[in-house]
Amino acid sequence: QTTSLKISHQFPGGTINEGDFRDRLCRMFAQEVEKRSKGALKFAIYPGSSLMKTNAQFSAMRKGALDLSLVPLSYAGGEVPEVNIGLMPGLVTSYEQGYGWKNAEVGKELARILGEKGIVVLSWIWQAGGVASRSKPIIEPEDVRGMKVRGGSREMDLILKEAGAAVVTLPSNEIYAAMQTGAMDAALTSSTSLISFRLEEVSKALTTGRGGAYWFMFEPLMMSKAAYDRLPKDQQAILMAVGGELEAFARKSAQADDSAVAAVYQKAGAKVVDLNATTVKKWQAIARTTAWKDYREKNANCAKLLALAEKTL
Amino acid sequence: MSHGFELAPAKGPAVPDNPVLAKVSRLLDRLNSLLLLLSMWALVITALVLTYSVVSRYFFKLPTDWQDEAAVFMLVGVTFFCTGYVQSMRGHIGIEALSSLLPPKVNAVRLFMVDLISCLFCAFFSWKSWTLWHEAWVDGQTTSSTFAPPLWIPYGMMALGMTILTLQILIQVLAHLTNKPRDQRSAP
Amino acid sequence: MTDLTLGALYGVVTLIVMCSGMPIAFALGVVAITFMFFFMPSSSLDTVTQNVYEEMASITLLSIPLFILKGAAIGKSPAGKDLYSAIHTWLHKIPGGLGIANVFACALFAAMAGSSPATCSAIGSAGIPEMRKRGYSPGFAAGIIAAGGTLGILLPPSITMILYAVAAEQSLGRLFLAGIGPGILLVVLFAGYAVFRARKEYAIAKAVYEAGGDKSPYLETEHFTLREKVEMLPRVLPFIVLLIGVMVALYGGYATPSETAGLGAMLALVLIAVVYNVWRPKDLSPILASTIKESTMLLLIIGMSLLYSYVMSYLHISQSAAQWVVDMHLSRWVLLTVILLMVVVFGFFLPPVSIILMTAPIILPPLREAGFDLIWFGIVMTVVMEMGLIHPPVGLNIFVIKNIAPDIPLKDVIWGVMPFLGLMFVAVVLLCLFPSIATGLPDMMMGAK
Ligand code: NA
Ligand code: NA
Repeated sequence: QTTSLKISHQFPGGTINEGDFRDRLCRMFAQEVEKRSKGALKFAIYPGSSLMKTNAQFSAMRKGALDLSLVPLSYAGGEVPEVNIGLMPGLVTSYEQGYGWKNAEVGKELARILGEKGIVVLSWIWQAGGVASRSKPIIEPEDVRGMKVRGGSREMDLILKEAGAAVVTLPSNEIYAAMQTGAMDAALTSSTSLISFRLEEVSKALTTGRGGAYWFMFEPLMMSKAAYDRLPKDQQAILMAVGGELEAFARKSAQADDSAVAAVYQKAGAKVVDLNATTVKKWQAIARTTAWKDYREKNANCAKLLALAEKTL
Repeated sequence: MSHGFELAPAKGPAVPDNPVLAKVSRLLDRLNSLLLLLSMWALVITALVLTYSVVSRYFFKLPTDWQDEAAVFMLVGVTFFCTGYVQSMRGHIGIEALSSLLPPKVNAVRLFMVDLISCLFCAFFSWKSWTLWHEAWVDGQTTSSTFAPPLWIPYGMMALGMTILTLQILIQVLAHLTNKPRDQRSAP
Repeated sequence: MTDLTLGALYGVVTLIVMCSGMPIAFALGVVAITFMFFFMPSSSLDTVTQNVYEEMASITLLSIPLFILKGAAIGKSPAGKDLYSAIHTWLHKIPGGLGIANVFACALFAAMAGSSPATCSAIGSAGIPEMRKRGYSPGFAAGIIAAGGTLGILLPPSITMILYAVAAEQSLGRLFLAGIGPGILLVVLFAGYAVFRARKEYAIAKAVYEAGGDKSPYLETEHFTLREKVEMLPRVLPFIVLLIGVMVALYGGYATPSETAGLGAMLALVLIAVVYNVWRPKDLSPILASTIKESTMLLLIIGMSLLYSYVMSYLHISQSAAQWVVDMHLSRWVLLTVILLMVVVFGFFLPPVSIILMTAPIILPPLREAGFDLIWFGIVMTVVMEMGLIHPPVGLNIFVIKNIAPDIPLKDVIWGVMPFLGLMFVAVVLLCLFPSIATGLPDMMMGAK
């Protein structure tokens, strides 16, 4: 008997060998699980939000209306405040640390909370990001003063505001045009998105995440607990095993994109700069008093998660 | 589809023949008028808010980050609060090409069925909107922005608006059943 | 049941429910819920409302009511008439100048309003009687207005382009800019035809008169003093300022597209208050009420279309249909022709808004695969949908004409628009041969893609 599972994500669709690594990861996952389960588990992949709106995915999984999704966890921050820890600037500053969460206390606690909300994490994926700017490079927090910046999340916006930036909110399909016209001066996003939005054409500077970064995003491959619990134990084990094995691929690809984005912007004539430990610390210091504080005060779970996460620093 | 113009001079909503139904219908019309008035204000205020955000950013260097969400909430409210009013004027367009081809009796059955099914659909949608509203209320859900306004506000407006729409169609369904045949109706 | 069989069933059920005369919004919802009930897990039914909300809570989509408000404010004031008279006083000496004045007035109004029928009724209510008074044949007069009105969704702002930008994930600003070149092309074609046709009708009128028949008003000459010409300007200038102001705000980086919508509506309200003294609540309430009526109707259709396309996607109907098209390995231009023909057929009975929402998930993937520029395609599709707006059986603009000039027989109106349909077809061909007519301006102003 075969079970058919649906995977939804917002990234551009490609093939198993080419394209956005997050789409490739879903395809590799599907292929490997199908193989190991001898066809008992089958998958349909819906890339590019072709099944449902990005923001509806998390809730659909909780209700059992969607089986799997690869999505930045913090997108559900309005629904489940605890998940904002998935994009807490300065809290994760290296791949080493991020990919270590899974087996650390913070990871166990996060998994427990997500389990209560009806979500199972199969693959723990972290990705660094950078800043594209249409004028000067953004290195120190002081650099954003007076600039119109799209932080892309509540937590980053809090930090940018504290640093003196004018925060801009825009749908992602308008980022390019806004950078072009000057409605926006700079944007923070993942390295992969910095490439796929083609912002190098309208940018004069790029701050990469390859040397060190304060912006790390948790975008796991998740599964609806309702769908997971329906499966026999051996199939559950296969899902977990394959998800875990793909983390190495995710890490390698994310780091490759950190370098690739630098090359792309360099080729387009933009000034490419890296961060060092001192600059990362400066951003972290602002984050502590703004985003972290805001998060800690949300509820007891949040405070506990933050404390556990700080242990991994 | 009307696009900022009226194909025919605006008629008031049709009044059912049955006196009780007519009374309920008039009450609903008054509620609809009130919501329409509220929505008119909301529309103008939305335009003002968006204008203000441009002005404040460029002239006073004070960026606003709440204008888009305020606009979204306001316009979601306008849409759902007025959908019952639009239905009372039969303003939700459909493809009516078939009606001229059918004999009057069959056409009457068609109109009844269309309203009945529409009513059931809207009732289902209202019910699911209220559950959504309840979830957002109990969990304290907000949007995921910096401004982070609570989601029960737009969900509530959606639920209330769809409920009014359902009532509106229900009255129209009941009117089909209770209205006297056209030739026996006294002139208004 | 295979995906395509299920797809066919979905299509047939949709056709039946739509043809029952059920409002489009409810029809889409009913079909979607029915299929969810029979073919999808029951938990899907619990996500219905959140999905609809997520679709509607997009600031890009919600700028639609504001663009409608801007159009309604100008359309319900005497601005349309003034716009048209001003252009006429300046152009009346050119043969066919009155026709050109109407086309230009439609274009200017279109650059402020987002929809075609609104443009038709704003300019046509003054333009058609005036043209007929001057001896233009009723069909010709109706044709000019019906066709000129279609510019409403091609010249920015445009409601259909907003929906397309969201569906195809393209920049709205870029798409708006891309409509300007083809808009001007159509204006030139329409105006050229107006001159040609007016000369022909003039020659016939002259021959009739010289043979001893009635003297047609065509043969009367009009005269406006320079003073009269100059006096018309202050009434039009504010709207030109509005038009340019909004463009500068958007493309100068002062405002995001959604802010532009709010700013435009606000400026239009201020202008009609200052220029036409329209500001009292009793003057504004019909403008606001008609805006709300239309935008509520549209947004409900948009929200419910989400359910419709969600079911299509979940059941793999759109993907299979798109894949089926891809697998036919049609050459680029055959693929484009097939897709545009499909749009034309849909245009027989559906308004452009529904066409975009219902076909986007099926037609966009094959087009992307074939390497078409989706901004360019959006423009071509818009022109093709415009053709649907003026061709029978359900040409919306034709109904508007019937409403503002009820005494022109439908047959005359239809024959009157035929030449314009031909010109639009020519425009589509030109756009295919020279894509830069559309993409040139955005590439120049916003950098090549
Ligand atoms: Na327009
Ligand atoms: Na048509």
